[in-house]
Amino acid sequence: MAGRVIASATTAILLAVAPAIAGNTLVKQGVAASVARSALTVMPDREWNRMGARPGRRSETWTLDGATLNDLTFYGAIETGKTLFRKVDRKHRPLPRYSSRMLLTDIPMLLENSYRIALGTSLMTIDTVQPTLLAGSKAVRFTYTCTRPGEDVERRGEAVAAIIGRKLFMMSYEAPAIFYFDRDLAAFRRLVATAWLAEGTR
Amino acid sequence: MRVATRLALATTLVVLFGLSSAAGETPAAVPLPPYAGAYQPQTVDERGAWMMADEAERSLRDSPALIGDPALNAYLQRVLCRTVGEDRCRGIRIYILRVADVNASMMANGTLQIWSGILLRMQNEAELAGVLGHEFAHFERRHQLNHFRKARTATDIAAWAGLAGGRYGPTVAFSAQTSIYAFGREQETESDMLSSRYMQASHYDGHSVGAFWERLMDEADATALGRHRRSTRFDRVSYFDTHPATLERARTFHAAAASAPGGGDDEHAAWTAALARWREAWLEDQLKLNDFGGTEYLLAQLGRDGWTQDLLFARGELYRMRGNPRDLIAAADFYREAIILAPDHAEAHRGLGLTLLRRGREVDAETGRAELRRYLTLKPAATDAAMMAALLS
Repeated sequence: MAGRVIASATTAILLAVAPAIAGNTLVKQGVAASVARSALTVMPDREWNRMGARPGRRSETWTLDGATLNDLTFYGAIETGKTLFRKVDRKHRPLPRYSSRMLLTDIPMLLENSYRIALGTSLMTIDTVQPTLLAGSKAVRFTYTCTRPGEDVERRGEAVAAIIGRKLFMMSYEAPAIFYFDRDLAAFRRLVATAWLAEGTR
Repeated sequence: MRVATRLALATTLVVLFGLSSAAGETPAAVPLPPYAGAYQPQTVDERGAWMMADEAERSLRDSPALIGDPALNAYLQRVLCRTVGEDRCRGIRIYILRVADVNASMMANGTLQIWSGILLRMQNEAELAGVLGHEFAHFERRHQLNHFRKARTATDIAAWAGLAGGRYGPTVAFSAQTSIYAFGREQETESDMLSSRYMQASHYDGHSVGAFWERLMDEADATALGRHRRSTRFDRVSYFDTHPATLERARTFHAAAASAPGGGDDEHAAWTAALARWREAWLEDQLKLNDFGGTEYLLAQLGRDGWTQDLLFARGELYRMRGNPRDLIAAADFYREAIILAPDHAEAHRGLGLTLLRRGREVDAETGRAELRRYLTLKPAATDAAMMAALLS
């Protein structure tokens, strides 16, 4: 009897604590997934892990082996005046804000400056910028390289962004330049190709 | 009675620790200066401090942020040698790091690191000499080692006083801990004074460093204003500050310079030539910090003797990034001025083109597209060439 009471108490604690400490969930293969609390939807052709911790209110991160090894982040319907992710230090290091008046060519700079400020690094470059499509809209595809302070690991990234209905939609994939980036880049590109905006929720 | 006993115990322990730390040192009759050729750390503490510094220096040497440009490194080393003397500067290795912030620091073993952000803000060689001299003084006076010893003694006192408790225990503990910071401030002031003396001896204009500090304060004010914040107080220190008040430091340098025989070089031309290759890249780092007020102030200071094409281009970028309708008008003007000085400045044509397109008026858009075409002609292999071509179609 005492054992059962203890067991059920432990289960209750685990249940209560679980969402806070381990909110990561499985993204199933072949099931449409709505991302970043927005109309942006993708169809994964493999399993992913959805991280419980979000970089910002309108973003979410998926990974395969852990966010430092492969980080796929979705930004959904970012509105004018909003930052890409949560501010690190609102007073001393405010992040740049998105504006619907921006051109597509300004988006790589928005991501670059946000990264530089949030990570506190000057080692970030945009390497290529090309036109593409995202969810059927005109978009920009850009690649970048960055190194976080105190780390020797060079990370490469690729992102695709579109301004649809004055809001910013973006998907970025980032991984260490050695091995990981090249290994899963194709999976990211396949996922980008499946993206669409759910009807009526733009 | 009990409280009195505990207090007596605490006092005894404090005295004991004071004695033991003094007895632990065996001062040599005339200690060798740390910059002496092939100097080896002498005491247990010093060997430990140097060992940790050696380890930190190894990772600094391999840092991806390290700027290896031989010419720039040689120039900084030359300025250090002129400032502190050929015999002393050999004990120092300078590491220039690409970090868009204002900092320079010295480790116990003679590793001096200086960030690109502080170099960008200097206007002449004398200002650099002042900063390098200050850092060298930390090394010469073994400040890192002394600070470590002070911190150890003070934290021991704080720990024992806290343990002993009683009415005065927490006060003793707090005073001991804050004394570490006060000690740090004293060392900084000592380094400032020594730095002033080096500058006098090497015939650099001592007023330069005071002016440098004043500009840093003004820039911080401009940053605060741009972010709708109150200005920082520069005239006071708190218990936990490791450095003296900035205003006090500026005054220290001015006072020292005023008492000097006078004159001195600032070597402005040599400084400008040495930095020419790097200024554009460091300005770009600064632009990306989302600090409109501070950057605008900095550009105005750098442009005091005339607006060059790199400063005008940077100002155009700054205004375009903020992107208010009035900023776009100003940005276009700055890009045009840069283009007058350097007609083939590809990025200025790009900036002007994008600014005009962003203004959203058809009359501007046509000119904007023409500017982008000019950009692509000047730089056909640009990393964003395909995207720009798409904007034109």
